[in-house]
Amino acid sequence: MSIQAAQDVSTSYSQPSGRKGKFFTAKRIGTPILIVVALSALLLFLYTRGEPDSIEGFALNWEYQLARIDEHIRISITAALLVAAIAIPLGIIASRTKSRFVRGFITSFANVGQATPAIGVIILLALIIGIGWTTAIIALVLYGMLPVLRNTMAGLAQVDPFVVESAKGMGMTPLQILFRIELPLAVPVILAGFRTTLVFSVGVATIATFINAGGLGETIVVGLKLSRPAVLLTGAVVVSCIALLMDWLAGLIEDVLRPKGV
Amino acid sequence: MPKSNNTSGASIELLNVTKQYPNQDQAAVENFSMKINPGELIMLVGPSGCGKTTTMKMINRIIEPTSGSITIDGEDVLSLDQNTLRRRIGYVIQQIGLFPHMTIAENVSVVPKLLGWSKEKTAARVEELLSVVELDPKTFLNRYPKQLSGGQQQRVGVARALAADPPVMLMDEPFGATDPITREKLQAEFLRLQESIGKTIVFVTHDFDEAIKLGDRIAVLGPKSKIEQFDTPARILANPASEYVSSFIGEGAALKRLALLLVGNTKMGAASKANAKAGSVSVSDNLREALDRIVLAGGNTIGVQDATGATVGSLSIEQISEALGADVSALGK
Amino acid sequence: MLGKYDLSTIWQFMLDRVEEITELTLEHIGVVLLSLAFASIIGVGIGLLVWNKPISRSFAVASTGVILTVPSMALLAMMIPVFGLGWVPTVIALSLYSLLPIVRNTVVGLREVSPAVMESATGMGMSKFRVLMQIQFPIAWPVILTGLRVATQLAVGIAAIAAYVAGPGLGEYIFKGLSMLGAIHALNFALVGTLLIVLIALTFDAIFILITRYTTSKGIRA
Repeated sequence: MSIQAAQDVSTSYSQPSGRKGKFFTAKRIGTPILIVVALSALLLFLYTRGEPDSIEGFALNWEYQLARIDEHIRISITAALLVAAIAIPLGIIASRTKSRFVRGFITSFANVGQATPAIGVIILLALIIGIGWTTAIIALVLYGMLPVLRNTMAGLAQVDPFVVESAKGMGMTPLQILFRIELPLAVPVILAGFRTTLVFSVGVATIATFINAGGLGETIVVGLKLSRPAVLLTGAVVVSCIALLMDWLAGLIEDVLRPKGV
Repeated sequence: MPKSNNTSGASIELLNVTKQYPNQDQAAVENFSMKINPGELIMLVGPSGCGKTTTMKMINRIIEPTSGSITIDGEDVLSLDQNTLRRRIGYVIQQIGLFPHMTIAENVSVVPKLLGWSKEKTAARVEELLSVVELDPKTFLNRYPKQLSGGQQQRVGVARALAADPPVMLMDEPFGATDPITREKLQAEFLRLQESIGKTIVFVTHDFDEAIKLGDRIAVLGPKSKIEQFDTPARILANPASEYVSSFIGEGAALKRLALLLVGNTKMGAASKANAKAGSVSVSDNLREALDRIVLAGGNTIGVQDATGATVGSLSIEQISEALGADVSALGK
Repeated sequence: MLGKYDLSTIWQFMLDRVEEITELTLEHIGVVLLSLAFASIIGVGIGLLVWNKPISRSFAVASTGVILTVPSMALLAMMIPVFGLGWVPTVIALSLYSLLPIVRNTVVGLREVSPAVMESATGMGMSKFRVLMQIQFPIAWPVILTGLRVATQLAVGIAAIAAYVAGPGLGEYIFKGLSMLGAIHALNFALVGTLLIVLIALTFDAIFILITRYTTSKGIRA
């Protein structure tokens, strides 16, 4: 039953765009427009309200913001790439085991992982290993593994067994089949998982501020603690735009990397 | 096929009905006109794409006609509320479409419930119908569609369409999705059913033999549902109106005609031991079977027995072909 | 840091704070249930309205998807200038997040009903509304329930962050653990908070699976 649950959750959450070849969909065009509109509104709001006071000035300047943005993007992308490097091979190995026990174990583990709050993972790790950038990365990688791991397994599972059989019949070695047939066919699903992880990472990296890893979360918390709504909103809007941007870029990559004819 | 004496059917008239889809330059159905008498079983036969299903589906407005008029018992179909109309028409489609989340009993009860029948009346009707389609009510009432075989599902589909006792039935290849053996059984049962209830039925099929077996009248349709010939099976077989119709009939038209004629209705010869050497057929068999037996046994004649087994006459090849009004040597053309 | 920690203290730790823990647990469950109630009504409602209208449908799915993409901390933060702190921004944010799985699954479930079933229902004279409620909805029910299940898991996890906007629930313990960095009980607080949240999520999941089983017609149970 929990295997079915995990499948339900993963397919419902990290689904490939399935747009069937349409490059210009509403979301594809709408998202950049939304980002531009949101950022313009923010800038308009900030410029028309007059000079920031001394406290706000600390955060509401280009230097500060760009530094936070840079930190944030660095963490998110590093974590996502690490996740890909670890979780995809792991997923391949996992999908190869005939043992139902191993598969069940991984799925149960994934289920529990899904149920664990990101903030909990981060803070627990921080309490054990210490605060800082490294801890944040480890937390992000641990937490972000699930979508990619699950989708790698699901993606490989949904490859038509008859296709694999005919490849075998042609004399391809298992490794050749993996790299030339199975992985390419599983790419849409795997990429959908990667996309989820990327968006997760941006979101969780926001929380990383609590353990001194920097990022735009800091802007938000500063705004909250010092009761400066302008700062709060700036952090929130900018990080949202980054998340949307990442999602949009990942969607583009998905479409580009999808093998023709799938 | 014998028409029933008690008919609960309505008359249907289609006048210059056309269906034009906006994104196509040819009409799907063009100027289709037909008058159907109460209690008739009309077969619409034609190749795929000729529009026969579209024509049928315009009668209950699943597809809306672009122009033309359709009346049932004089009432203009297009002026009625769609749902009211459809609750008075039994509808059986090829893919059956049983509701998977309902039991068989619930499936069959749908239209009666829509019409507000009482629980008792509905339950009684459901049991009656299941028996009619030869599904034991006790076993099947509470089963779900996924537990039934294809043939059984098809029967439930027919029972469901009959539930509210509609005067008109529309059937689109209802026996199409079954194997030949099941299909033959279903066709035989269906005929028996129609004999006792006599509804007006428009039946779509691409199988000409099915059309001959079941229909009172057959409409052979060409592209855009153009009516190439609209007549009884016997007359179409005897006098195909065009090459097109002949190609439908295929080989052995005369033999097919023989299948429509009963031994009991044919002028027979005297009963004698000599004539019965090759064996006997019953008065209720058809002439094709009789010819088949004669050919198998060799010789020229076969005996004829009545229901009690008493020999009442004999049949020779000449008498068989006389019944056809054709020459034996022309058989098998 | 770990050297100073003794796992056996956790049981006593919990016993000492039974009332508080119970209260926070109930708060956590409560805020999730409340948000889910709102999200279900709104989400399923939207799904029922747009499932067969392509433009509205893709707009609904896309916009609820955009909400889900926004980092939870950011969404919660954006609520504050308008709604303040505490329960209100939390419930609103959780409800908004839960919309996507519910809307998408409702739409997908309704659309996946076989065309043959739809046609025979229409052909029998059922009005479009009847077909939607008596045929499509029951058949789509398991898929819709899955959407609710996913939404619940999301909400349980995100509710943990709500503590930083003074929201209800076990997140408070997690943040307490953080603020007590270095103290003896820091890890206990964070661990108890996290583990209980995991437990709540898994329990909800199990309940949903049972509900799915018992409310799905036998005819469509896989």
